[in-house]
Amino acid sequence: MELKEKLQILSDSAKYDASCSSSGSTRKNNGGFGNTHYAGICHSFSSDGRCISLLKILLTNACIYDCKYCPNRRSNNIKRAIFTPEEIAYITINFYKRNYIEGLFLSSGIIKNPDYTMSLLIETITLLRNKYHFNGYIHAKAIPGASESMLKKLGSLTDRLSANIELPTNESLKLLAPNKKENEVFKIMNYIKTNRNKSFVPAGQSTQMIIGASKETDLEIMQKSESMYNNQKLKRVYYSAYVPVNKDSLLPSITIPPLKRENRLYQADWLLRYYNFKVEDLLDKENPNFNILIDPKASWALNHLNEFPKEVSSCSYNDLLKIPGIGVISAKRIIKSRKHFKLTFQDLKKMGVVLKRAKYFITCGNKFYIDYSYLNKHFIETNLSIEDKIVNINKEEVKQLSLFNYE
Amino acid sequence: MNNIYIYNDSFISLLNLIKCLFKNKIRPYNIKNTFYNKNMFDNIIKLNIESDEEIIKEFINIFNTYNFKLIYNVFNSNEENKEIIIYYYLLNYFKYKDKLGMMRNLKCVSETLRISEKIGRECHKFKGFTRFKELKNKVLYAEINPDNNILYLLSIHFKKRLSNEYWCIKDINRNIISIYNKEDFEIISGNNIEIFKNNLSSDEQNISDMWKDFYKIVGIKERKNERCRMNFMPKKYWKVLTEMEEENEKDSIWKRVTRENRRGN
Repeated sequence: MELKEKLQILSDSAKYDASCSSSGSTRKNNGGFGNTHYAGICHSFSSDGRCISLLKILLTNACIYDCKYCPNRRSNNIKRAIFTPEEIAYITINFYKRNYIEGLFLSSGIIKNPDYTMSLLIETITLLRNKYHFNGYIHAKAIPGASESMLKKLGSLTDRLSANIELPTNESLKLLAPNKKENEVFKIMNYIKTNRNKSFVPAGQSTQMIIGASKETDLEIMQKSESMYNNQKLKRVYYSAYVPVNKDSLLPSITIPPLKRENRLYQADWLLRYYNFKVEDLLDKENPNFNILIDPKASWALNHLNEFPKEVSSCSYNDLLKIPGIGVISAKRIIKSRKHFKLTFQDLKKMGVVLKRAKYFITCGNKFYIDYSYLNKHFIETNLSIEDKIVNINKEEVKQLSLFNYE
Repeated sequence: MNNIYIYNDSFISLLNLIKCLFKNKIRPYNIKNTFYNKNMFDNIIKLNIESDEEIIKEFINIFNTYNFKLIYNVFNSNEENKEIIIYYYLLNYFKYKDKLGMMRNLKCVSETLRISEKIGRECHKFKGFTRFKELKNKVLYAEINPDNNILYLLSIHFKKRLSNEYWCIKDINRNIISIYNKEDFEIISGNNIEIFKNNLSSDEQNISDMWKDFYKIVGIKERKNERCRMNFMPKKYWKVLTEMEEENEKDSIWKRVTRENRRGN
């Protein structure tokens, strides 16, 4: 099989993994080849709008497991291929040299057993690091069930090492991925957490959950993420809208991936990590799912209207972050500047505050931006959703999201 | 009459002019380069000032490195009134000193920060969007088409990254080339050098084909989102991107067809 065809097969098999970040590492170019950029660099954007920063491939798409949602499951009749370490090194080095990519994302189907698969990954990456002196970014997938010595070796070679939890609860994992065990994934995460330092997985670990393949509510998904951020110290949790690649009686019969739901989960995820929100603020047992029509932060603000309006020239940093239309950067700018001069709405605009969202929730110098007699929940909600142009959203898609037809 | 002061296009001559203006306490109406088209109320003034490279050290001493980098970024932008923004930014530094960065209610400060951020953002985009081709003599060659002059900042990045390769990057909008010889880079005018850019190395075609394949495959067709892609990767940059060659061709055919249709009608 030609190298070109192999690349086609093995990148096609790897594309459903959402992770693509290349940030968090400060590997230097010590007389070798390449370096990493702390903020990460996106090199291109694919036709679905996702960034391409890493050469995302599988070592092999042959797999002994039979996970229901996976295009590479054992029972699928597809073309299988395997790269040799030299081939991967050749493609990576040549792509990197031409500045197509920021580094390598290497995952693999499981062949023979987890340890054997891990040894192949290690062999490949050792070749890149030691023979070709490649100092670019490498993100490798740890195979659940592999031994600690293997994890140690792989972790010392890579910038990011991660294991995918795939489904938010053990029950759905048992149902859809019978060979995968949650505690094995957590074993890897905990091992990485305790051993992480400058030379072992410097950029930290991430994981991925598939959204919409099982019956969990947003509340369960977010609680899972929150616990992983707190206990396993993850850098990122990726949410991947379920794309129906396989037909199976256990899988939902949808045709369009639940993209809007994925978007809302990402927004909420940011609120957890940068805006000091907690899951219990955003969702509860009565409302276990996010409102598709309005973003989580605005919908939180609408439910807590009694706390608003907030006075931007005096309220605390934490309170600023709770205002829709004010982000981390603009909040920091406000805090820095307001000691030195009296803020006006014009200044806020210049600092990057999105006034068309924030105007309902703030006063500046005890002045309202709009007539405050309009400020009721219904008025704000309608205006926010008109501004989001969500009124025009494909109605079918909304329907697809709220109803789950199991075959 | 509006007093317009003219400098001779280089950063150093601008700094020299500003220094001279500060010294003599002159408030210019505007500062422009030699390409400026005079209008009827303008009073053009050219001062005869020696260009002195020592001025860079002097400015860094007075205004510190952070501010110096800021105004250098502003100078490299394509903003219309960048010179006068730099003048007022530096002038205000004497009043506010290190608090200047927080005085965002001053127009010169908010503009300086905005423009500098804009340059940084475009430079960061091109850290990703620069596409090298390997020529027969193993030199990596890339063409870029940024709105602002980011070649210097970009070269610093690639000097660290590809330190053991020979490379050159050409800014086709400004016709300047940065050339790196495994030790340091130099930026020269494109008129002084000829590059045989069609003389490619033997596996260049093969590699770029693989990249185009990879690019096509990685997009998930169920999630197709043209608008999202366009937001992150505006169409103006497409013509320097290897993986967009096919789309560019489609585009140009489409344009030609519509043009011919219009003519037919």
